Amino acid sequence: MDDIEARVVDNRNIVSNYFLLRLKLAKPMGIVRPGQFVMLKVPDKNIFLRRPFSIFDYGRDIVTIMYRVVGKGTEALCKAGKNEKTLVLGPLGNGFTITKRDVCVVITGGIGVAGVHLLIKTLKHDASIFYGCSSKEELAVIKDIMERNPAIATLDGSRGFQGDVVTLFRNQMKTFKGKNIEIFTCGPEGMVKNIRKQIEKWKTPCQVLVEERMACGFGLCFGCVVKTIDEKEPYKRACKEGPVFDLWQLSL
Amino acid sequence: MATISLTFFGKRLKNPVMNASGTLGYSNEIESLWGVETLGAYVTKGLSLRPHHGNPTPRVWDERSGMINSIGLQNVGIERFFDEHFPFFQKKRTPVIVNFFGFTEEEYLDCARRIKPDRLIVALEMNLSCPNIKAGGISFGKDPQTVYEIVKKVKGITPIPVLAKLTPEVKNIVDIARAAYEAGIDGLTLINTMPAAIVDIKRKRVPIKGGFSGPALKPIALRAVYECSKAVPVPIIGVGGIMDADDAVSFLMAGASAVQVGSATFVDPYAIPKIIEGIGRYADKNGCRNLHEIIGITHE
Ligand SMILES: Cc1cc2nc3c(=O)[nH]c(=O)nc-3n(C[C@H](O)[C@H](O)[C@H](O)COP(=O)(O)OP(=O)(O)OC[C@H]3O[C@@H](n4cnc5c(N)ncnc54)[C@H](O)[C@@H]3O)c2cc1C
Ligand SMILES: Cc1cc2nc3c(=O)[nH]c(=O)nc-3n(C[C@H](O)[C@H](O)[C@H](O)COP(=O)(O)O)c2cc1C
Ligand code: FES
Repeated sequence: MDDIEARVVDNRNIVSNYFLLRLKLAKPMGIVRPGQFVMLKVPDKNIFLRRPFSIFDYGRDIVTIMYRVVGKGTEALCKAGKNEKTLVLGPLGNGFTITKRDVCVVITGGIGVAGVHLLIKTLKHDASIFYGCSSKEELAVIKDIMERNPAIATLDGSRGFQGDVVTLFRNQMKTFKGKNIEIFTCGPEGMVKNIRKQIEKWKTPCQVLVEERMACGFGLCFGCVVKTIDEKEPYKRACKEGPVFDLWQLSL
Repeated sequence: MATISLTFFGKRLKNPVMNASGTLGYSNEIESLWGVETLGAYVTKGLSLRPHHGNPTPRVWDERSGMINSIGLQNVGIERFFDEHFPFFQKKRTPVIVNFFGFTEEEYLDCARRIKPDRLIVALEMNLSCPNIKAGGISFGKDPQTVYEIVKKVKGITPIPVLAKLTPEVKNIVDIARAAYEAGIDGLTLINTMPAAIVDIKRKRVPIKGGFSGPALKPIALRAVYECSKAVPVPIIGVGGIMDADDAVSFLMAGASAVQVGSATFVDPYAIPKIIEGIGRYADKNGCRNLHEIIGITHE
């Protein structure tokens, strides 16, 4: 892990408020595991703290980040132009643990795909992918994983299943019957809670990438905690003990 | 070459720069970037008698010139800190300042009693911004009489030098500093965060209330250091909004013997080593042989 100078290669609008940012690092980052993230300096003097973003892709000193504009930091970030200077602290956190299972099931929606994209790439073809978004236009976000035949849910029904991604998953759960599966997910808390409801009975192994507001990104401040079932020390640091947690350890 | 080392409560510190409590983990978190032995002294996270879970999230939020935190003093407690983390500082031979707090006077006293003298422990730092449960949650550090009493009792219990870390949210911080001095305090750490809030205009609510730190705090902290160092003859550690070596030097000139750096580390994780280097460069460039030549120079 190190804090590395970087320059914007491009910062492209994909669709609606989704952007893809590529940064050229002045030197290579450490080995990157799927689910790890960086703390990115937003090149705007009005933005005090860095922002955490999953490593969407990494190779040849270029780190790619996919982000959705949701507030002042990401609004400022989408204005960063070519060659603009920034700083990238990473790679940070513990990524996903890839275990030997019959099937790896990845369930995600919206910008959540940014957190599991590298995982999907690593899992090659033995993964079953479920993706949910609001309409078919938003599928531009997962363009490069379309060839992996993800099961798609759109809220407006303009493509695939009409409804949310967890309902789609539930409808297909019987196809996994008798198989040894593990679920990987990243997305809003509501989605994670719904997944939990569906698999409560079987306590299916499930790794969750959580997103919390952060200040430091590597364990200094205790700003980013998530509540777990550990009674002695319920609040764990998402940046250090996470950001990937065992669903059954979380107190949702 | 100028020397920027100093003697603080009889202990030799390499330089006058420390981390601010609660902003550098428990012990080894920074090690992949730089070692804690770089510091003049390591200041522990606020410790209490029993482990404390802290607040629900959101716990951090940023502003144009700083940030708000509402960590709620999460910590593993004094015992676990000394079992699990203190040996690390012994191995690294890094001087330590132990920051502690309580929600009652008894808890402060029990903490002070538990912490045994050690050649690496430079001082205890009592965080007086903590809410006093028996006084309806008003912080200990707001009333000169309360400060006098608690400092007097803590001083009667421990042989280790004691620093009082004061909150700026008071009528007159000099009165508080004087009360602590009269009770026998060995030094002051000025200042803690300032109460603040954020309004989210999209959602029309206050997502976080907590303590404000960062650059906007600097002039407020400088004023406290300047006035208190003129009023009481004990060493002062200046803290609040220090982002670079010039900021640190301004605290020394205002009357601080040492400084602490907090939020700056979140913006630039190398802020502390850069500040240490910068102070050395400043001293060299200005022909000052040791820091005493600039500490409190603005008083003249
Ligand atoms: C490990 C990790 C990986 C992440 N990966 C990505 C990613 O790949 N792409 C992406 O677009 N976003 C990602 N996020 C979320 C991203 O950090 C936030 O969206 C961003 O910091 C918002 O900044 P802002 O100033 O625009 O929002 P603010 O103005 O600060 O807040 C706007 C809204 O976003 C929410 N928000 C703010 N910070 C976070 C946060 N850290 N996590 C979740 N919600 C937040 C706020 O509660 C608020 O509702 C990740 C977060 C974490 C912790
Ligand atoms: C995340 C965070 C945690 C803190 N925790 C403590 C603490 O436990 N005890 C304490 O006395 N001060 C605590 N502080 C206050 C700092 O030590 C310091 O007084 C304050 O942040 C001002 O310095 P800065 O502007 O350099 O950050 C904390 C500050 C932050 C930002
Ligand atoms: S963001 Fe500071 S501890 Fe996680």
